[in-house]
Amino acid sequence: MLDTIMKTKIFAWVDRRTGAEAIIKSQLTEYPAPKNLNWMWVFGAIAMLVLVLQIVTGIFLAMYYKPSAMETLGGFSVAFDSVERIMRDVNFGWLIRYTHAVGASMFFLVVYIHMGRGMYYGSYKEPRELIWIMGVVILLIMQGAAFFGYLLPWGQMSFWGATVITNLFGAIPVLGDLIGQLLMGGFSVGDPTLNRFFSLHYLFPLLLVAIVAGHIHALHTVHSNNPDGIDLDQSDPNNVVMFHPYVTMKDAFAVSLFMILYMYIVFFNPQMGGYFIEVDNYVPANNLQTPAHIAPVWYLTPWYTILRSFEVKLVGIAAMGASLAILFVYPFLDRSKVRSARYRPMYRSMVILFFIDVIVLGYCGHTATTETLKVVGQIATFYYFFFFIALLFLPRFEKTKPLPEGV
Amino acid sequence: MKLNTILLSLAAAGMMFTSHVALASGGGVALKHASIDVVDRDQLLRGLTVFTDVCMGCHSAKYVTYKGLMDYPELGVSRELVDELRGENPLSSGLVTDLSPEDAIESYGKVPPDLSLVVPGRRGGADYVYSLLTGYAHDHDGKIPEGNYNTYFPGHSIAMPDPLAWLDHDAEETVELEQQANDVSAFLAFIADPHQNERRAMGKYVIGFLILLTLVLFLLKKEIWKDVH
Repeated sequence: MLDTIMKTKIFAWVDRRTGAEAIIKSQLTEYPAPKNLNWMWVFGAIAMLVLVLQIVTGIFLAMYYKPSAMETLGGFSVAFDSVERIMRDVNFGWLIRYTHAVGASMFFLVVYIHMGRGMYYGSYKEPRELIWIMGVVILLIMQGAAFFGYLLPWGQMSFWGATVITNLFGAIPVLGDLIGQLLMGGFSVGDPTLNRFFSLHYLFPLLLVAIVAGHIHALHTVHSNNPDGIDLDQSDPNNVVMFHPYVTMKDAFAVSLFMILYMYIVFFNPQMGGYFIEVDNYVPANNLQTPAHIAPVWYLTPWYTILRSFEVKLVGIAAMGASLAILFVYPFLDRSKVRSARYRPMYRSMVILFFIDVIVLGYCGHTATTETLKVVGQIATFYYFFFFIALLFLPRFEKTKPLPEGV
Repeated sequence: MKLNTILLSLAAAGMMFTSHVALASGGGVALKHASIDVVDRDQLLRGLTVFTDVCMGCHSAKYVTYKGLMDYPELGVSRELVDELRGENPLSSGLVTDLSPEDAIESYGKVPPDLSLVVPGRRGGADYVYSLLTGYAHDHDGKIPEGNYNTYFPGHSIAMPDPLAWLDHDAEETVELEQQANDVSAFLAFIADPHQNERRAMGKYVIGFLILLTLVLFLLKKEIWKDVH
């Protein structure tokens, strides 16, 4: 179909003025992709789709949503009322809002798997360090966008979650109070906070689009890694397939499969038992009544556990910051020449344990703390950091397996 | 073991984990099971009656309008009944109680919460509402006044006085009261998300379409990749 379009006169007219044909060829029809890519390589495309869906549904939600904490009848607010109006009175408002709310969780799910794939097959290693680093920036912006977005319905968990997190900044020495006040637009979470969070919630996805473009540009410069983590001669047709139609069709199938899961949740279980939309967020924000148990949404809980694992608040904040910052230097901590965990027996065990560790951290952060869970969380926090530090020394002990010659 | 299999089993383990936690979050006491059906018009209408006759003495459901009672196909309340219920209120008005917040504080010590979203807004949902309504009991320690002790309320001391007169009811009334509690739980579950039946009905077609699409794309992918070895 693409060929037919490219042969038309209109396309020729456009091409002479934009160089469209060269772009299509270099990025799609003549862009080589290793032919041994497995199904773990589809999550980048799925993440892009979810980003687009989040932006589109978000634009429509913003047409009806009103960022105001002004109190209305029954202890609700203008913001809460506007969300309920979307759910009840706007045509297909429920579909748009559930798609957006569930989409946030799906976005993190897909991006975490995407990152896990990069870690397992060594996609962060030379020459793809910057792709990984841009990916970490994308993750941080996503977390910011999710945090800002969660305040908008102005429910109990919106309000108290934002209060807990903005108070964290207050614990930073010297500048803490100033940062906290700048974030909140006052001395506590209130109407000015809601307004600026709405503004930032609209800004961050636009930043995401720009950085995702950089992420993909860098990828298309150095080309995809592959499950064996070996350097491939990308001009040898025995090694590669063309991105279009081979990879596009594979991605299309995977996206469609993913949409079944996504839409199943949207249509049949949008709250996901309180994991995607928390129970307390159906209660309007009340600054005089703290919910029994304040927990962030599941995708932020691993970091919340790291924060809670230390008695001194400031140390906890530093550890949480470090746990994200260490992702930036990950490519430089790992000096092994071999990329894929398939040929690195020790790294393979370590990285699988790391995946389990992050799930354990997430579980500990979501549940009310008990003494046991606290210790489990502390052990998991220790392993989180141990994993990265141990990479520095790993090449001295690890005996890697011989790499295959080609695919 | 390939990474695919590892991740899949991790995801499966994670999902099992979460479903257990969701079940266990009732708040100490195991809840009674409400028998509700949000597509059963008779039950919803009986629930509406309980709501307007009993609950609305103190509680509101401000997101549900009188017009909504007529328009939602699951309810389809007649204009005559709506006119009777709304009195002087406009059709666009929500189901709002006549009890003023000031009077409520004087009588009960707090403002009764709006019930529009009480089902998704409480752990246990409709089961919690049903358990609460049929959970009034005598306090064995005698600390909490009669009519303010509820087995299922966190802390047991509830400001709401036994609305269905569950306490000291005789055996013949049990079935009737349980039905009232079930009916009003069903009504509250319905109004929390009035498009839920439409959503589930539409969902079947959406998932059906997506399965077909996935099948076609799978065959297309296979066809295109057949010359790659």
